[in-house]
Amino acid sequence: MSTGHNKRKTDQQIISDWIRPQSRVLDLGCGRGVLLEYLIQKSSIHGIGVDIDLEKVQSCVKRNIPVYMGSAEDLMEIYPDRYFDWVICSRTLQDLQNPAKVILEALRVGRHLAIGFVNQGYWLNRYTALKDGCLPQNEVFTHSWEDGNPFHLITINSFEAFCIKHKITICSRIYLRGDWERHLTFAPNLRAGYAIYNLKAST
Amino acid sequence: MNGLWLNIFYEDDIFFAKWNRIYLFACFAMNDTEQISWQTDGEVGLVEWHDFTSDKPFLFESGQSLPGISLRYETYGRLNRDRSNAILICHALSGDHHCAGVHSMNDRKMGWWNNIIGPGKPVDTNQFFVISSNCIGGCQGSIGPSSIRPDTGSPWYLDFPDVTIADMVHAQHRLITEALGLERLFAVIGGSMGGMQVLQWAIDFPGFVNRYIPMATTARQSAQAIAFNEVGRCAIMQDPGWNNGRYLSGKGPNVGLAIARMMAHITYLSDQGLEAKFGRTRQNGSSAGKRFDAEFEVESYLRHQGESFINRFDANTYLYFTKALDRFDLFGSEQSLDSSFKNVQGKFLTVGFTSDWLFPPSQNREIVHSLLRCGKHATYAEINMTLGHDSFLVHAPELYRLVNQFLLS
Repeated sequence: MSTGHNKRKTDQQIISDWIRPQSRVLDLGCGRGVLLEYLIQKSSIHGIGVDIDLEKVQSCVKRNIPVYMGSAEDLMEIYPDRYFDWVICSRTLQDLQNPAKVILEALRVGRHLAIGFVNQGYWLNRYTALKDGCLPQNEVFTHSWEDGNPFHLITINSFEAFCIKHKITICSRIYLRGDWERHLTFAPNLRAGYAIYNLKAST
Repeated sequence: MNGLWLNIFYEDDIFFAKWNRIYLFACFAMNDTEQISWQTDGEVGLVEWHDFTSDKPFLFESGQSLPGISLRYETYGRLNRDRSNAILICHALSGDHHCAGVHSMNDRKMGWWNNIIGPGKPVDTNQFFVISSNCIGGCQGSIGPSSIRPDTGSPWYLDFPDVTIADMVHAQHRLITEALGLERLFAVIGGSMGGMQVLQWAIDFPGFVNRYIPMATTARQSAQAIAFNEVGRCAIMQDPGWNNGRYLSGKGPNVGLAIARMMAHITYLSDQGLEAKFGRTRQNGSSAGKRFDAEFEVESYLRHQGESFINRFDANTYLYFTKALDRFDLFGSEQSLDSSFKNVQGKFLTVGFTSDWLFPPSQNREIVHSLLRCGKHATYAEINMTLGHDSFLVHAPELYRLVNQFLLS
């Protein structure tokens, strides 16, 4: 479990370092509120999480993290443009019903969008898919096909093509190796296990 | 897992399975041990009510006033040394001050929220001092239309001033500050009309309360809810026994009040809940010869609800309180909930119930949307239950956990 712990830590640390103290932060798919709790303690941010799962919402309540139970789209709709300094979408993208809509809406209500996802272009993921002939199942993709959850395979190349198509500015990007810890720059679509972006809407 | 949880959830296999899953997940997957917060289970037991009476005048929102007021209330648990652990429970339309325990060992029914209030329960009386008061305008000990007016020696009847949700809250505030001498409340909790009072507390006394839990409620009464209340009022007012509100105790518009209650009671339940409880089951040994007698169980259930209501509730209070509900509108003249909420302080946990069609989840969400837009600490949770509006009053382990964790967080 120690690798799992580290895997959780590095990407969240990168996002946390981007966020300035006192920022207004919205965490889409906040889960049990671990990241928001950390940001509140470390940077005194004003945070709100959104999650669809009551058990996770209960955990947030226990952590004293404000959380909205419902869909990210419904919640973002209520906010004026650029209400948040940061919107975070960490390990959530693959589960969204309508990722493009959520990303574009997040770029409307947030000055910046921090987005992190598992790169399915990573060679080991490709190899596993080839070898077993089935969808990958791992720490992020915990569900099997029969659970019926939406389940998007995202690659670095396809994500960056999406950004170009929608004229989204990539302020910075960080690629992590298969250990989700060490950084890399060369041939990320094949070599990176995880990707993190700082995005903003083009003005 | 300790014995208590086994006890509470013994019959709730689904929840138990879910809980097990979180528990395992918490242990193995992350550093997030979900410790069980309440350890012992108990009852508040034998309780008695108190009467707060004040000779200071009370000014109603309408501009009318009374020379003095009285409110009936109960308390459970103990006030701590720095007087910081008081929780106020606000009751719904037909509720009262008696929300936990029993008045005598022969009582068959316990207080209306006994499942959530008590030693070791979600609102833990080992930790909190719980206050529950009967609303102004009520008929169960507090001053209302059936109280005797000092100048004439006869009941107030319809000369009693119009009551609003804000009046209820302001009267409670006097109880809290004058009778109990408190300068703050740790929390205010209530469902339905009680939830409206919770919101009104936040607006009218910002800084007085630390935490708010409104549930199954709304920031303004909807047209549908007004419509149902109007049917109830018409049933009462068209009963000859109503006599323009001037009737002797026990001899009022009993038929009208019973019909109002029967109709309203349907709005507190749900299609699915009624189907599960009664279906098309027919009455045993019903007087089948009488063609329009209660034939189905659901009919006799509603008739029973109506009949038992007339023994404990006053028809004029029903008129006053339903009007208070109907006139409740936090959007105000500016048509903006945000401007009502902009000065509120403290933390909010708002809970909606999926099958509630009287105050549906969307109306509970609307409250949270506005609080969040105003930058307040607000949480929204929605509980999937099939029992309709009254879901907040029944055994609801998921609600218990939310309330308990919110109070302890």
